[in-house]
Amino acid sequence: MASSKDPREEFFVEAQEIVDLLARDLLFLDEAIRRGAEDPEALNDLFRGVHTLKGLSGLFGMERMSALTHTFETKLDELRLGKIPLTAQVLDRLFRAVELVGRLLAAARATGRDDDPELAKFVAELEGTEVRAPEAGPSLGDYDLDPGLVSVLTEYEEHRLRHNIQIGTPLYRLRAKFPLLTIDKGLDELKSKAKPLGEIITYLPSGSTSDDDSLELDILYASVAPLEQLRARIEIPGVTAQLVERRSAIPDDGAHASSAGSPSLSTPDGQGLDPRIPGPPAIPAETSARARDPSDPAPVPERGASVPEVPRRHTPVAPRAEVAVEADPGARGIGGRASHSVRVDIRRLDHLMNVLGELAIVRSALQRVTERVREMPAMRDTSTELHRLHRSFERNLSEMQSGILEVRMVPLGQVFERLARAVRQISRANNKDIRFVITGADTEVDKLIVEELSDPLLHIVRNSIDHGIETQADRSKAGKPGEGTIALNAYQAGNHVVIEIEDDGAGIDEGKVLAAAVRRGIVREDEARDLSRREATNLIFLPGFSTREMVTDLSGRGVGLDVVKTNIGRLGGVVDVTSDLGIGTKFTLTLPITLAILRALLLGVAGRSYAIPLASVAEATVLDPTRVRTIEGREVTTLRGATLTLCRLDRLFQHARTAPAPARSFIVVVALGGRRIGVVVDELFGQQDIVIKALGPSLAGVRGIAGATDLGDQRVGLVLDAGAILEEVLAGASEWRMTEAHSGGRFPA
Amino acid sequence: MADASRRDTYLPAAVPATAAAARAELRRPRDSHTVEEFIGFRAGDELFALPLALVREILKLPPVTDVPRARPDVLGIVSVRGQVTTVLDVRRRLRIAAAPATVRTRVLLVDGGDEVLGLLVDEVTLVYRLAPDEIELASVLGGEHGAHIAGIGRPRSKAARGEAEPSDEIVTLLDLAALLSA
Repeated sequence: MASSKDPREEFFVEAQEIVDLLARDLLFLDEAIRRGAEDPEALNDLFRGVHTLKGLSGLFGMERMSALTHTFETKLDELRLGKIPLTAQVLDRLFRAVELVGRLLAAARATGRDDDPELAKFVAELEGTEVRAPEAGPSLGDYDLDPGLVSVLTEYEEHRLRHNIQIGTPLYRLRAKFPLLTIDKGLDELKSKAKPLGEIITYLPSGSTSDDDSLELDILYASVAPLEQLRARIEIPGVTAQLVERRSAIPDDGAHASSAGSPSLSTPDGQGLDPRIPGPPAIPAETSARARDPSDPAPVPERGASVPEVPRRHTPVAPRAEVAVEADPGARGIGGRASHSVRVDIRRLDHLMNVLGELAIVRSALQRVTERVREMPAMRDTSTELHRLHRSFERNLSEMQSGILEVRMVPLGQVFERLARAVRQISRANNKDIRFVITGADTEVDKLIVEELSDPLLHIVRNSIDHGIETQADRSKAGKPGEGTIALNAYQAGNHVVIEIEDDGAGIDEGKVLAAAVRRGIVREDEARDLSRREATNLIFLPGFSTREMVTDLSGRGVGLDVVKTNIGRLGGVVDVTSDLGIGTKFTLTLPITLAILRALLLGVAGRSYAIPLASVAEATVLDPTRVRTIEGREVTTLRGATLTLCRLDRLFQHARTAPAPARSFIVVVALGGRRIGVVVDELFGQQDIVIKALGPSLAGVRGIAGATDLGDQRVGLVLDAGAILEEVLAGASEWRMTEAHSGGRFPA
Repeated sequence: MADASRRDTYLPAAVPATAAAARAELRRPRDSHTVEEFIGFRAGDELFALPLALVREILKLPPVTDVPRARPDVLGIVSVRGQVTTVLDVRRRLRIAAAPATVRTRVLLVDGGDEVLGLLVDEVTLVYRLAPDEIELASVLGGEHGAHIAGIGRPRSKAARGEAEPSDEIVTLLDLAALLSA
C-alpha cells in the first residue's frame, strides 16, 4: 500500500511535522526570553529538527530547501554555542526562517518546485546574523574537574559548562550505575528527574567496568538546587551525587583535596564512590564522546544519516573507528521519538469506522435472531449459547469502537501551538504587545475536529488582536496594562469540549451592533428592542456583518464571524459570545468530542424516525399539555421551576400528519452551551450507537439535519442537528429569514 | 412498451439479463462504431433516455427517507451499500404529474459531478443504440424546449436490432447536467 504512494508525500508529511515542532520550540524560546531565562533544551531541539530537515531535503533533491536549512542550521549551532546572542531580533529571524521553510514546503507540494521570491534575500540576511567576538570565559581550571573529562567535551558541552560556571550555577557530579539490560530505562528516569532541576552537561562511562552486567556513568550536572533537594528528588538506586568544589576556595593541596570536604549523597544501595569524575581511561575517546550525548542515550538510527552504534545494552563500549567525535544531533530528532508510533491516514480509520457501523447493524440483526430463538422451547440450549455469543460479540465490538475512537483523539495543543505562532506574528504586525495564555492544551478531541478548528480559532484570535485589544495608548488611558492578554482555555465537559477565547480588550458595544443590524435590515427595529444583551451581541455572527463597511462602523468587530459560526456548526458545535464593554470579550465554542460514533436517542414524530445525539440531550420527559403556555406566539412550559421554550418538531419540519397527534407526547430537552429548548416529539424509541454520515452537496442547504445514519434493514434515519435547531428556535423568525436566504442548496428550485 | 425480459445486457449486474436478451445482443450489428448507447426509461407516459456511460447502476426502489426542508423534487435519501445517496424524482423535476411507485419503479444511479445521485423513474425500458442519423437535434422542437433536452432519438426499427415488430417510437434524449441544474 505504501509503495504505491508518492514517496514525496511521505516527505511532505514528515517535514511538515518537523516544521510544527520547530515552531513549538521557537515559542518555548520566546517564552524563555520574555522571562529573561534561557532554554538550551529548546535550542537544541530546534537545531536537531533543522538538521533532520536538511538531511531530508537533500535526500529528496530539494536544493533550495537544503540551502536554507543549511544556513539555518549553521546559525542555530552558533546560537547554541553562544556565539550569537539570542535577542528578540534574532528570534524574529528564526521565526521567519521557519515560516519560509513552511512556505517552501507548500510551494514544493503545489508546484513541485521549492522556491519563494524572498528566499535569496532572506538566506543572505540570515547568513549575515552577526557572530559576536568570543569572550574570555571563566577558566575551567578553577573547578575541581578532571582534565581527562574536560578534554573530551564537545564544543557545545564545553560552552554549556563555561556558561553555567559564568552565571554561577553550582556544578554537581552524579555517578550512576545501571544494569546493562535496563540502562536506557535507568538513564531516562535519571534524566526525567534531573532535568527539571538543572542541566545535564555531559555524561560518559566512568571506565570502571568492574561488573560485567552493569555500566557506571559519570554525569556533570549544573543546578541551582541545593544538594539536599537533589537528594530528595533524584532518588534512584545506584545514583550518588556530589558537589564539584571550586579549587580556589580550598587550599591547593592536590587534586583530591576537594573530596574531603564535600558531602556525599548516597542512596540506600549506593556505594561510597570517588566523587571526582575521572577521565575515561578504559575506552577510546571517540567512543566515549558518542556515548555521552547530553540529550539522548539511545538515538534511533535514521535513514540516510550515518549513525554510529551507541554503546548500550550488550555492547556498551564497543569502539568503532568511523565514529565521529561530534555527535550527529539530527539522528535523534523526529525519527527517534516516533519509533513507537505509526502514521495512519485518517481515511483508513474512517473506513474502519464504517465497517464497525456495519458490524453494529449485524449485531442488532443477531440480537433479533437470538430473541426469536429464545421463544422456541426446543432450542433452549442453542438459545443460551447464542445469547452468550451475542453478549461477547457486543462487548468486543464496543471495546473496538472505543479503541478506534481513542486512536482518532489528538490533543488540542497541536492547534494551539499554531495559534500561538499566529498570535506572535499578528500582534507584531499590529504593533501590539500580547500575552497569549494557553490552558488545557492536553484536552483531546477527534483528529478531524482538531483540523477543522484551526481556521475558526485563528479567525477569532485574529479578531481579538485586530479589534479587541486596544492600542497601547488607549490601554494606558483606560488604566489597563500595556500588554494585552488573550487567554485560550480548553476543557472537557461530558461528551463535549469547551474552548474559551477571552481577551481583555475593549469589548463589544451591543448598542452599536444593534444599530448596525437595524440599518442593514438584519433585524427590524421593534425586534431589536426585544433582544437581550446577549442576543444583541450574538448578532455579530450573522452573515450581514461580514462586510468591511460594518467593520469600520463598529470599530472592527465581526469580520467574517458568520464563517466561524458556520464552520463550528458543521462540526456539530455552537459558538457563543459574551462581552463587557471596556473589560473584554469571551468567545465560547462547545464541540462534540468525536464525529465518528455517537450515542443517539431515537425518536418518532408524525410517523418518521429521527436520531438526536445524546450528548446534546439533557433529559427527556412526558409533556404535560396543561402546563403549556404561550408567550409572544412561542409555546413554553415549566420544567424544574424554569421556563422552557418548546419546539414542536412536526411543525418545525412541516410534517403532514396522516393520523391525529397522539394523546401523549414527549419533551426532549436539548441543552448546548448553557441554553436549552424542549423539542416535542410523539415517541421515544431508545438509544443506539450511530455512525453519522454527511448528506450529499445536493442537500447542503437543509437546516436542522446534521446527517444520516444507517439504521439497519437498509433504512436510513436522519440525525437532528441539535445546535442548529436550538439556534433557530431561540433566535426566532428574524434569523431564520436571513439564513434561509443564504442556504439555497445546489439547485435553485 | 418493452417488458422486463428485454432489458439489455449492457446494464450493470444489478439488472439481470435474460437468456433471450443475451441472444438478441449477439444478433445485434457490431460494425458501426459511431452508435451511441442510451438507457431508456419512462416517466409518466413519456420515454426518455440518458447516455449509458453516465448511469452507474439501476436499483429497485429501496426504502426512502424523506428529508424535511429539502427542495420539492428531492424524493429523499437512500442507503446504497452504506453510502447515503440523494434521490431526485424525475417526474417532479420534469413537472410530470405524480403517480405511486409500482413494481417497475427504478432508481438510476448517475454521476452528478460532485456526488452520485439517484433518479427515480417509473420504469427502465431498454438500451438504445442510436446511429447519428437516428438522433435529431433538440431544435426541431422549436425555441421553447427546456435546456435539459439534448435531442430526439428515433430508433429506426426494432427489426434492425433483430426484433420482430416495426416501431416508430421516439425518445427524448436528456442532458444530465442540465437536468440536474434545471
